[in-house]
Amino acid sequence: MNKRYAMAIDLRRCVGCQTCTAACKSANATPPGVQWRRVLDLETGEFPDVRRTFMPVACMHCANPPCMHVCPTTATKQREDGLVTIDYDICIGCANCVMACPYDARSIEHLPHYAYGEPMKSETARFDAGRLGVATKCTFCKERIDQAAITGQIPGVDPEVTPACVNSCISGAMHFGDVNDANSNISRLLADTESFRMHEELGTDPSVYYIWDGGDQ
Amino acid sequence: MRAQREIVDRVPPRRQMDWDIRGALNFIFGGAGGGLLAATACAQPLGVDLRAPVALGLALVGAGLFSVWLKIGRPWRALWVFRRPSTSWMTREALLAPPIFLSGALAFFWQSAPALYVAGLLGLAFVYAQGRILKANIGIPAWRRWSCVALIVATGLTEGFGILCLAAPVWPSLLSLAYPLAALVAVRFLVWRYYRGDLRRTGAPDGTLRSLDEFEFRFVLIGHASAAVLAIAGAYASLPALVAAGAGLAVLAGALFKYTLVCRAAFTQGFALPRTPSRGRGAPGVGVQPGWRQGQGR
Amino acid sequence: MNAPRDVQRFSSFCYNCVSGPDFLKIKVEDGVATEIEPNFDAERVHPARGRPCVKAYGLVQKTYNPNRILTPMKRTNPKKGRNEDPGFTPISWDEAFDIIAARLNAIRAKGLVDDAGLPRLAVSFGHGGTPANYMGTFPAFLAAWGAVDYSFGSGQGVKCTHSEHLYGEFWHRAFTVSADTPNCRYVISCGANVEVTGGPTAVIRHSDARVRGYKRVHVEPHLTITGACSAEWVPIRPKTDPAFLFALINVLVCEHGLDRLDVPFLRDRTASPYLVGPDGLYLRDPDSGKPLMWDVATSRAVAYDAQGAVPAVEGRHRVARALTVGADAARAEHNDVEGVTAYQALVDHIARYTPEWAETICDVPAATIRRIAGEYLEAASIGETIEIDGEILPLRPVAVTLGKSVNNGWGAYECCWARTVLASLVGALENPGGTLGTTVRINRPQDNRHLSVKPGEDGFMVQHFNPTGQNSWESEPTTRNIHRTLVPIVGRNGGWSQALGPTQLAWLFTEGVPDDWSFPKPTYPEFWFVYRSNPAISFWQTRLLAESIAKFPFMAAFAYTVDETNYMADLLLPEATDLESTQLIRMGQTKYMEHFWDYIGVVLRQKAVEPQGDARDFTWIATQIAKRTDLLPQYVQQLNRGISGVSPLKGEGYDFSLDPATEPEPEHIWDAVCRAATTTLSEGKECHGLDWFKEHGFYATPASRLEWYLTPTLARQGLRYELPYQERLMRVGQELGNRLHEKGMHWWDDQLTEYVALPDWHDVPGRWERALVNAGGRPEDFPFWLLTTKSMQYHSGGNAGIALMNEVSENLHGHTGVMLNADAAAKLGIREGDRVEVRSHIGATFGKAALMKGIRPDTIVILGQFDHWATPYIKDTERASLNTIAPMSIELTDATGSGADIVRVAVRRMDKAVAA
Repeated sequence: MNKRYAMAIDLRRCVGCQTCTAACKSANATPPGVQWRRVLDLETGEFPDVRRTFMPVACMHCANPPCMHVCPTTATKQREDGLVTIDYDICIGCANCVMACPYDARSIEHLPHYAYGEPMKSETARFDAGRLGVATKCTFCKERIDQAAITGQIPGVDPEVTPACVNSCISGAMHFGDVNDANSNISRLLADTESFRMHEELGTDPSVYYIWDGGDQ
Repeated sequence: MRAQREIVDRVPPRRQMDWDIRGALNFIFGGAGGGLLAATACAQPLGVDLRAPVALGLALVGAGLFSVWLKIGRPWRALWVFRRPSTSWMTREALLAPPIFLSGALAFFWQSAPALYVAGLLGLAFVYAQGRILKANIGIPAWRRWSCVALIVATGLTEGFGILCLAAPVWPSLLSLAYPLAALVAVRFLVWRYYRGDLRRTGAPDGTLRSLDEFEFRFVLIGHASAAVLAIAGAYASLPALVAAGAGLAVLAGALFKYTLVCRAAFTQGFALPRTPSRGRGAPGVGVQPGWRQGQGR
Repeated sequence: MNAPRDVQRFSSFCYNCVSGPDFLKIKVEDGVATEIEPNFDAERVHPARGRPCVKAYGLVQKTYNPNRILTPMKRTNPKKGRNEDPGFTPISWDEAFDIIAARLNAIRAKGLVDDAGLPRLAVSFGHGGTPANYMGTFPAFLAAWGAVDYSFGSGQGVKCTHSEHLYGEFWHRAFTVSADTPNCRYVISCGANVEVTGGPTAVIRHSDARVRGYKRVHVEPHLTITGACSAEWVPIRPKTDPAFLFALINVLVCEHGLDRLDVPFLRDRTASPYLVGPDGLYLRDPDSGKPLMWDVATSRAVAYDAQGAVPAVEGRHRVARALTVGADAARAEHNDVEGVTAYQALVDHIARYTPEWAETICDVPAATIRRIAGEYLEAASIGETIEIDGEILPLRPVAVTLGKSVNNGWGAYECCWARTVLASLVGALENPGGTLGTTVRINRPQDNRHLSVKPGEDGFMVQHFNPTGQNSWESEPTTRNIHRTLVPIVGRNGGWSQALGPTQLAWLFTEGVPDDWSFPKPTYPEFWFVYRSNPAISFWQTRLLAESIAKFPFMAAFAYTVDETNYMADLLLPEATDLESTQLIRMGQTKYMEHFWDYIGVVLRQKAVEPQGDARDFTWIATQIAKRTDLLPQYVQQLNRGISGVSPLKGEGYDFSLDPATEPEPEHIWDAVCRAATTTLSEGKECHGLDWFKEHGFYATPASRLEWYLTPTLARQGLRYELPYQERLMRVGQELGNRLHEKGMHWWDDQLTEYVALPDWHDVPGRWERALVNAGGRPEDFPFWLLTTKSMQYHSGGNAGIALMNEVSENLHGHTGVMLNADAAAKLGIREGDRVEVRSHIGATFGKAALMKGIRPDTIVILGQFDHWATPYIKDTERASLNTIAPMSIELTDATGSGADIVRVAVRRMDKAVAA
């Protein structure tokens, strides 16, 4: 069976600190305003019975990705390991995928943007004109996962081959791994806990699970 | 280059910002053009010289595609658009363009009736493809219903017949098309009502429903009631100007509707939290879907 | 994007907030820092598994921020003020040092102290000691200099957990107090927003505890991040926490009773059995002067340390002969006198504070209070034990934690006392699972609080109060915040004691003194160094404060960018920042909330990229200043003593000391510090220099968890916690009053009322309402309480100008706005995103309304410390700030010198026309 990489996010743990948001921006050099991932702050209930929940969101790397189906150029593809990718050399920036994604995961930047107007050294060093005018989104840090095939390391276990957001998470909320492997960390965690996936009713079969209750770890 | 960019609160559904008026013009021009080709084919038996509406239909389709070209991030790669016919309705829409122009050219230059029928059918298919482009974009709840496809097709055909009727003062023989136009206006009204009910039944973003609510009165009164009355009255009284006025309203309303659908009512899905998590010994609780009006059918 | 030719990673630390150090790595591509990453090499030794928090990810932008000051600059406009362009002009380091040396040498020639008895040199550092982790060897220069005034704080005492620092150290050597989170099962968190301020270590520990199934009840007027992550939120009325905590004690001692409590702990580890006489003083043995207890075995009063005695914890007992010693050693002899045990005095005192009473004060249902007290007692599992490294200790997994504003200003003493009493009633004070202290700062040594525990008076730990006796009291202040004179409990341990003094008094009294003032008139310091500190934003009444700053004769500011304080500077000095400079610091068992680790050691911050522009390593700057003030030998001696380092550079069996006659290079200094640190940590087994640290990043050695708990240390010495009765504080307060009154001063009288043996409720929020009336305001015009809160993105980071922080923090609702209850806002016609004015009786601040349900209808919250007008980037965003409109006053200052972030306000929607 092919691998299927997925993310499990434990909502009991998440504190909304945005460390993953910042780590993603750091690792992927996204321009100001573009957040391939972020943590939502959701309030429920009426005073005084009110709750706040912090919910990290990003590309869900759906098994049935609507973004891919609508993409007219084949820039958006699905890999055998479940990652949904964008080929920046093919994408025409039509934004059809942006509309198709029910997770608000994609962005298109037409012009360069810098944190302080003019580019800093660190921005110049990592500027990629190939990302202008095309759709971009969370890649599950695919270069790291590709590295795993070379080094024999395990994504979700070895930090070198694990997405930057998961590595950065200070509350231990984020987990990554192969859900098609029943013995993987993530499979065991999901088996022991209660989880949901967002907007499942839309038939996207997303690869991000949200843990909300269940057994001790 | 800007130093600071406005961060939009992206928890509740937000109005999509990637397809602006240029994106809407694809549907406004392309839909009207495709509809016009279909209507022109229907008018073939009237025996009028229909080269002008054929040319206009092709021009509209071309203008729609040109608008899209202006909008895309990498215009010089536009030809990559043909690469995914298996699933992408945008590819399919693009694939329809060459045969439309070919058959349209044949109809124009050789006044070939079969070519005109083919162009009309392809025009209809073009409009349908546009409806399916929207439907496939499931990130926009206002678009993803079959009723939206029906509404796009009904609007395209209404616009097509409407544009033809605009020519009634020049070619009085087109006056009779006022009746099918009125019928199409009625159909569009019924489909619109069904579409609105469909969204309410299945649930939609607040912003979508509000935008459509705000649009409804003008759309129904001007684009339907007034248009139909003027068209029928004009045909009955043989007053081409009245027919043209009614047709104009029907066409204008179609354009405004598509602008509203693409640029105003197109709110994203937003996010949902089916349930709140447990926090230590604090039990899980009910969830929330901010900015969303739940449907009765859910 | 071309692939970089050369990619390197440098290990380092982040100490941008008080919860540091956390570990990180800096990715450098072709000489340019591009990414911050966790340091997984430290996964084992760091409780947060080698991960820094969000702030660290802003350090790349911090390095290359185009708004940085990159060369020394001098002011050309002699006029100072918000509306005066400073006219900063670039100069060379040589010229900058010449200017500094000329002024400092002139001071040395005149004398370090001026005619008012106050140091001519003042130094201000930013939040919670964090600057010390970035300023290299500057402390060695200051130690070499001599008298320095650290009085001008930038929020010390009001933005920290001030009362806890002082009373925590007094009661259980707890500069900061924390739950023993890894073992705790039940936490009552009164405004302690630990998910925001406790760093990655607190975040992961509480996250683990949630999944493990602990319960945390969060008591705060609005639903903070920590409230959100708790099992229950109790939206208490602002500043009424003492009443809530008193009622919890009431339920424990009056409803459940002594039998349900930890009697052995109360009997043997606290002063509960000490007998209190009718004059409120301990009954003492007439011969030895030792406090008496009632021995159940012999039915007579015996000294507290009588062998074989079985002390009565409760009850009233008649004592044939006894002595009491009051303020100024006033002795009274008593015959056949009734003594009540201190515990009994507590029970009698607290009986009036029932949950039903508290409900009327706190707006928390009595049933809720009663339930929480019951859950707390149940969870304390009195009798349970745990084995740690071979020792059997009581397991008492309950804690009460206190946050800023609960822990500051009026009412804070009551909260600290009640929290510590609640811990001691169930034996949870400094026992596994319970309430722990994490370090000492007022006592020595600062790196081991156990060693600070030594026998003192009356069976308690030794205390180092500032004297209040007739002959020993410091009758003329030696610092501008008067800490030694006015605040006995803050002690006299150098910079930390000073910094914990009543810092707003320094600001207030240089502007004007009370009518009945009879100390020398305070002066401005002739020379003021400022580093990582922006009091013109981070204190109160900031517009006025900026005007005060403009009056300082000379300011040299180590400057990252221009800001609201250094706008008034005469010199700006650009220091190499986080990724550009070198320093070795301690880790584990260091200072803040959850800093009890399983390892202790040292960690290096190293130069990963060349300093931008002409910015220089702080150690080099400090050395140059020492050289030009002819203090080089003294400076090197201080380095050799271990100032600025981790261990003395010379000790038993090792000598890495530097030659006082030679100017040391920064690399040599840190190499010696690295070697001394590793030698001492490894007890001579290992010795590693700077090069080794550059490669490995840190050195750690395991530490027993027994180090976390102080109670066994007290038990070994037969000592007791000075609880629940506060005879010493009462006595000291009376003495202080006597001294002030002898000099004809009564302006501190209200503060003297805080020195009581058992605290009473005194309408704490009413003090702010009365202050408003006294200032000429009408309470009905200001119907809301304005509070503030912290965020992880900004908390003490000095990073308001970092664009990344602004971007990511906006994902949190209300982060950049004025948080209002949605229903209350609707009544005022305020909608989400509306521009609103928040007005107190001293001014107004403006921001965007953020409506939420998780906030009391009578409360408004503005996050953080903003309203910048000079700091680049952030000054272009309109951010409201409590600091702009909270008044600074003696009236709102408590006995420790602290005040709270709270003020009465009105709010209204600004129409566009008005806004324009």
